[in-house]
Amino acid sequence: MSRTIKKYWPIFVAPTMAAFMIGFVIPFFYGIFLSFCKFTTVVDWKPVGLQNYTRIFFVNGKLDTTFLHSLWYTALFAVVTLVIINVVAFAIALALTKAIRGTNLFRTAFFLPNLIGGIVLSYVWLMIFNSALAKYSMTIVSTQWTAFWGLVLVVSWQQIGYMMIIYIAGLQAIPEDVMEAAEIDGATAWQKLWKVTIPMMMPSITVCTFLALTNGFKLFDQNLALTGGNPGKMSQLLALNIYDTMYGTTGWQGVGQAKAVIFFILVAALALLQNRLTRSKEVQQ
Amino acid sequence: MKKRQAMALGMAAIMLTGCGASSSAPATTAAAGSSAAASTEAAAETTAAAKTEASGSGKVYLLNFKPETDEQWQELASTYNKQTGVEVNVLTAADGQYNTTLQSEMAKTDAPTIFNIGNTSAAQTWDDYTYDLKDTDLYKHLTDKSLAVEYNGKVAAVANCYESYGIIYNKTILDAYCGLPNAKAASVEDINSLDKLEAVADDINGRLDELNKALDGAFDVTEAFASAGLDDGSSWRFSGHLANMPLYYEFKDDGVDVTAGEATIKGKYLDNYKRVWDMYVRDSAADPKTLNSGALNAEQEFGMGEAVFYQNGDWEWSALTSGDNGYTVTEDDIDMMPIYFGVDDANEGLCVGTENHWAVNAKAPQEDIDATLAFLDWVITSDEGRDAITNGMALSAPFDTFEGEYAPTNKFAATSAKLMKDGKTSVAWSFNATPNVDDWRADVVSALTAYTDGSGNWDAVKTAFVDGWASQWKLAEEAAKK
Repeated sequence: MSRTIKKYWPIFVAPTMAAFMIGFVIPFFYGIFLSFCKFTTVVDWKPVGLQNYTRIFFVNGKLDTTFLHSLWYTALFAVVTLVIINVVAFAIALALTKAIRGTNLFRTAFFLPNLIGGIVLSYVWLMIFNSALAKYSMTIVSTQWTAFWGLVLVVSWQQIGYMMIIYIAGLQAIPEDVMEAAEIDGATAWQKLWKVTIPMMMPSITVCTFLALTNGFKLFDQNLALTGGNPGKMSQLLALNIYDTMYGTTGWQGVGQAKAVIFFILVAALALLQNRLTRSKEVQQ
Repeated sequence: MKKRQAMALGMAAIMLTGCGASSSAPATTAAAGSSAAASTEAAAETTAAAKTEASGSGKVYLLNFKPETDEQWQELASTYNKQTGVEVNVLTAADGQYNTTLQSEMAKTDAPTIFNIGNTSAAQTWDDYTYDLKDTDLYKHLTDKSLAVEYNGKVAAVANCYESYGIIYNKTILDAYCGLPNAKAASVEDINSLDKLEAVADDINGRLDELNKALDGAFDVTEAFASAGLDDGSSWRFSGHLANMPLYYEFKDDGVDVTAGEATIKGKYLDNYKRVWDMYVRDSAADPKTLNSGALNAEQEFGMGEAVFYQNGDWEWSALTSGDNGYTVTEDDIDMMPIYFGVDDANEGLCVGTENHWAVNAKAPQEDIDATLAFLDWVITSDEGRDAITNGMALSAPFDTFEGEYAPTNKFAATSAKLMKDGKTSVAWSFNATPNVDDWRADVVSALTAYTDGSGNWDAVKTAFVDGWASQWKLAEEAAKK
């Protein structure tokens, strides 16, 4: 058996490997290379050194804060959605694993928003927000903060159900004897939550915080459809900012590419850090 | 336990569908795009199969800009193939996706031989790819040479249709208004300056009840001007089309090419811009604080006869009159007048220009370039081509071959032609000179929004307009350096 595998493994690995190379590895490195070039199409490039990177921050010899603004705006957005989504999803998961009538119905209802695409969802919410805000003579893009909380609400609404499912699965996996032992020892409900449930749930928490964090940083559809970066690019999250540079500014494809490289490094670093932090809290069952 | 397992499986299934759904929006677009591409390719294959004696001649590949004309182009391609045996491939980019499509198509081995250039800024981006059309028949047939995009000493692209814009008005309502006692104008023709227009619009907005009584149920007017939406779907009417007016007059004063522009502007006519903008906002029923909501639909307000004036172009003709939208205005109700700007009202015509220009890919093999030029020449001279453009696509083509039965059918276009015949000067599309057009407009719109909702002031609009221009011009110039 193992000899056969030794002999034939390339046949099984090659298709996937080829797809992975073509779909990911090659474009990835090619993209990094292009960030050091001025290009019109991806096959028509000219190396320009670090020029693209300096242009991210200095435009016409002056400091340009558009990218920095969208950087901290995105960071704030990712943190706020991370907290809201995970806390609420966890709470709902707790509630829906208790013996209440109709839990399945509730679970389905909470999960449903996730089945709608981000663009459609955002257009629906855009109408809701604007008709509600019209009473106060405002729109979702009146200020960068209305846009911010609008985005937070839509994304939370969409993702809470998804995270909830993961948490429910985690909660159901907690062995009942541990809970019983805690009860016999006289632990209060609060103590059980903090000392038993949450430590036992760390693997789920790792997964969910990772997903929420990277989703927050990578968000594009909802940003494009709900605010379009308005007012005046103030609600542009990183992904939209990169897209805008790539296609909106003449001859700046390379700058867009450079931003994308910075974006990748940032998200990768944060995801690794977060993974390490939550992993270290995981306990053996 | 069994039950729990079943449920877990169910949940897993839901999660899987969930994963699929979270990316469903882009997936469907991609699918739609590829199916469109697939059908185009299929069409190309059939045309290729149909060709019998293509003796090593070049190929034509048109990357079409206007999605609504796809069908006509596919037909033209197969007709041309049947007649000459030359392979013509037509791919139409999805609406709003032209730049992305062009960028990826151009990177392929069989790149488009004909592509669209919107303005000088695009001619700059694609400078390496534009073939000089100066000596072609296409350029020779062009009636108004200002409708070509010139860049870097080349005729980089030639307009394939031209469009006019101005203030679309409802003649029936205006006639009723002019019949009111103490009306500010005696007839529609009497509205021939900004002063007059402003007086009439203000007066209409103040006497709506009286006007509706006079209209006797024909329309229910709620405002003089249709809402001036500042959302992304409408703001270009003001950051592009209305902003064209101060740009045009300033370029004209400075004696520079009115469609090529200049590096710095002074904003000499921004006071007029403000005056017109204020009128649009003041004489409309929309709340000035929520103009960017995206919920406003100016076309509908005008189409349902709620508004008297609506700044837009002749491309609105079919939307307003086709009946598909259920609008109550009819062909006889509507017409177009110039955007009077208080500068040269007596001589001003409609704004005539285009963002549709054919450019020929200079990096294509010479035989493909020759085949492409021959194809384009056929399109504008043959009966099939001219019929498809005038009647099929309902465009006004700027070539001297489009006469008689191939003259434009659109009434707004006819008004434009009539004004020209009356000796009015058409206002050129100076906004085509805008450097980094998306960025510049975004800043102007943002300042204009803040000014209009009261959170900002007019000086910020001026800064975005004037300083923004200089700054973006510099950037664009720098980016153009080889």
